[in-house]
Amino acid sequence: MLAILRRELIAILRTRKAFALQLGVAICFVLLIALRWPTDGRVDLSGERSGQVFRLFSYGLLAAVALLAPVFPATSIVMERRRGTLALLLNSPLKAWAIYGGKWLGVFGFIALLLVLTLPAAAACYAMGGISLSGQLLAVYGLLLVAAVLFISLGLLVSSLAHSADGAVRVTYGCVLALAVLTLAPYFFLQGSAGLSAQAAGWLRCVSPIPAMMEIVGHGDIGSETAWKGPSAVARFMILAPLLAIAFATFTISRLRYHLLDRSRSQGLVTDNRSFGARTARRAMFIVDPNRRSRNIGDWVNPVMAKEFRTRRFGRSHWMLRLIGICAILSLFLAFTVTTGTVRWDLETVGGPLVLLQVGLMVVFMPSLAAGLISSEQENHAWPLLRTSPLSGGKIVRGKLLSALWTMLLMLLATLPGYIVMIYIQPTLWLQVVRAFVCLFLAGLMALMISAMVGSWFRRTAAATTAAYVVVLGVFGGTLLVWLARDAPFGFKTVENALKLNPMAAALSVFNVPGFRNYQLVPISWWVAGLVAIVCFLVMRFRVQTLTRPE
Amino acid sequence: MIDRNRTDDGPVVEVRNLCKRYGEFVALDDLSLSVMRGQILGFIGPNGAGKTTTIKILVGLAKPTSGIAKIAGVDCASDSAKIKRVVGYMPDGFGSYDNMRVREYLDFFGAAFGIPRRQRVSRIAEVLEITNATYMQDRYVESLSHGMQQRVGIARTLLHDPEVLIFDEPANGLDPQARIEMRELLLKLAASGKTLIVTSHILPELSRICDQVAIITQGKLRASGSLEEIMRNLNQRRTIEVQLASPSDLAVGESVLKGCLGEQGVVTVSPAEGMLRFETTRSDEQLSQVLAGLVAGGVRVSQFRELQTDLEDAFMSVLQQHDGASAIVTEKV
Repeated sequence: MLAILRRELIAILRTRKAFALQLGVAICFVLLIALRWPTDGRVDLSGERSGQVFRLFSYGLLAAVALLAPVFPATSIVMERRRGTLALLLNSPLKAWAIYGGKWLGVFGFIALLLVLTLPAAAACYAMGGISLSGQLLAVYGLLLVAAVLFISLGLLVSSLAHSADGAVRVTYGCVLALAVLTLAPYFFLQGSAGLSAQAAGWLRCVSPIPAMMEIVGHGDIGSETAWKGPSAVARFMILAPLLAIAFATFTISRLRYHLLDRSRSQGLVTDNRSFGARTARRAMFIVDPNRRSRNIGDWVNPVMAKEFRTRRFGRSHWMLRLIGICAILSLFLAFTVTTGTVRWDLETVGGPLVLLQVGLMVVFMPSLAAGLISSEQENHAWPLLRTSPLSGGKIVRGKLLSALWTMLLMLLATLPGYIVMIYIQPTLWLQVVRAFVCLFLAGLMALMISAMVGSWFRRTAAATTAAYVVVLGVFGGTLLVWLARDAPFGFKTVENALKLNPMAAALSVFNVPGFRNYQLVPISWWVAGLVAIVCFLVMRFRVQTLTRPE
Repeated sequence: MIDRNRTDDGPVVEVRNLCKRYGEFVALDDLSLSVMRGQILGFIGPNGAGKTTTIKILVGLAKPTSGIAKIAGVDCASDSAKIKRVVGYMPDGFGSYDNMRVREYLDFFGAAFGIPRRQRVSRIAEVLEITNATYMQDRYVESLSHGMQQRVGIARTLLHDPEVLIFDEPANGLDPQARIEMRELLLKLAASGKTLIVTSHILPELSRICDQVAIITQGKLRASGSLEEIMRNLNQRRTIEVQLASPSDLAVGESVLKGCLGEQGVVTVSPAEGMLRFETTRSDEQLSQVLAGLVAGGVRVSQFRELQTDLEDAFMSVLQQHDGASAIVTEKV
């Protein structure tokens, strides 16, 4: 196990990416403290100022752990399998648990090292006073370590199931987002009510590290209308997270056997050659059967766009239809809850979750759809083939972006039924809904263009996907971090300026969601999002032009 | 079927004084060569010799620092858009896509080359037929074996019916059966009028199919022409084997041979094989006189043959001549 641990840790630490991460994390958190370090002679005896900084510091660290901890384990096993080194490991006397343990500890060591690098900043924060050492500072680090344990175990599990490194990154980020955010949703609707389902929702919300962190730093509850009166969210998280991590680890270790490598090549069976019964069953199952013999690309269709729709694992027609179905059902469900529960929730309150649902989908899916548009061609050695075809750089970019844009629009339109029901119930809302819809479209467009632009600078799809996720989550989540620290340490103006970068915040302000209703974000955030999208497009176009030009 | 030796309409591929520099590094130095229609040029050289750079210039992926490269009259540097329709290029890496069947793969590249849909359907069937790949049309490209992928790769290069086909290491990694099939396929393409440029490290493969050979080292063309011409230019000593009807003639044969060859004649006797061997630089006519001398001396000769030198020998001779490449000689051993 030690051999694997040494190799994993050294392999991570040797990369320039790891060095940049360590340096970046250390500088960011030191700057945060330095900016808020008292410069006058007076002493803040209440500790309010250090508390403000500490809150931002803690949320920032949690975001850093959620973003960085899953990346390395997500690619770890799948890369070994694709390179053929997993077969060598399984052929050695090492046991499955030793291989797993080595990998797990290697990543955990790196994350622990990153956290150690933030200790000076934490110490400075503590030196400002007003923070309890064991109740807050150590509790935050304890929580972060447990969150890292959970995310690393999750990343390794996904890695053992995935077929490609970029797919593993994308699924892992989706799972992390689901664990951290989606688990809060049932509680949001059931809070205050009694019964088993409300209790289950109370436990489920504690799978996310966010309520526990909020409890430690003394913040209110996110999206909650009533104060949380149940047992400590920290205690529940500290119980649930290790249990989940053990479950993930057990399942992953059970998969680390030869059968992981024992897969036959696809013989390319097409549905058209199957029996009538099988064809009918598949049509009912898929609606658009991925295994049917496809028609030739039309003369007026951009071939790159058609190719993208056919080749990507996610985003092919059958998956798109399922996703649209789920979105439509969810949005209708939200609208239905409004009509049946108007006593407690008004339409404006439900508009918030609807916006969050859509932006969550965009943030999860856009980087995975758009980040690998160019890098996957380079990784698969297909780029020289495109370069030797008469396709121009512009046509390639257009085809690729259109394939992602259509997907985004379909996802956006899928939640339209919910909005239509809202307008039907309260016709005066139509202007708000239209404005929110524009915000959401621009949020999707911005996420798409940022992902495509960032991804075009990488040669490996996994790296491109990771970088795109970090930037997109940085834009959408980072501005919310500033919002979380509204009034203190950041002033109203600073928060408003930061939120102008985030069309999701603009949509929430349009729906007058508590915490956002005071900010005037429309139409300025539309202009900002549009400008960001245009700049990203131009940068990507330049990059593709550079790549297609003769050397 | 066209005559592969037809060269009346001038070279299809013409490279003159081609130079390519990357900063201080000279990748190509004054390279000149030409290939006639329907011919197969074997383009060989050690790793880093400049083969891929030359190919990249020919297919419009790189621009030369100086010199001219033309294919079918189209300038590769200034008209790279047009050159893409004249050349079919199969790089060393296959270039596959996930979840894509062979037919879809060919359909995409056909559409990329602007072939109208109706025409594309028949063209895909045609190229699959030529490459004997019809049976794999529904398979996923990433699940194909290496040999199958090479066939699909060739089918892809044929889609837009280019005049010139450039294959980078087509036989690399193929099993013996697949190599034979690949060889036959390349000969079939040349016979159908295509001009082929093929690079390979498997030199015996090339020597069996190439009309012309160009040997390049350190960016310079060291030798070019037919294999025979290259051997002649290299002034390489020929090895002749004389098989005798009876081993009892060995002693007489050896003395007659030494007499014919003079002081420089080194004759090796192999009693187990009943054979005499000698190396010489003499022409065919002079060798016929040696044979006549043996017969006149009463030696019963059953076979008198030249030991075939192959492309590998030529290649090594060129390397040794120009690079003094002791390391390479060691590698060969």
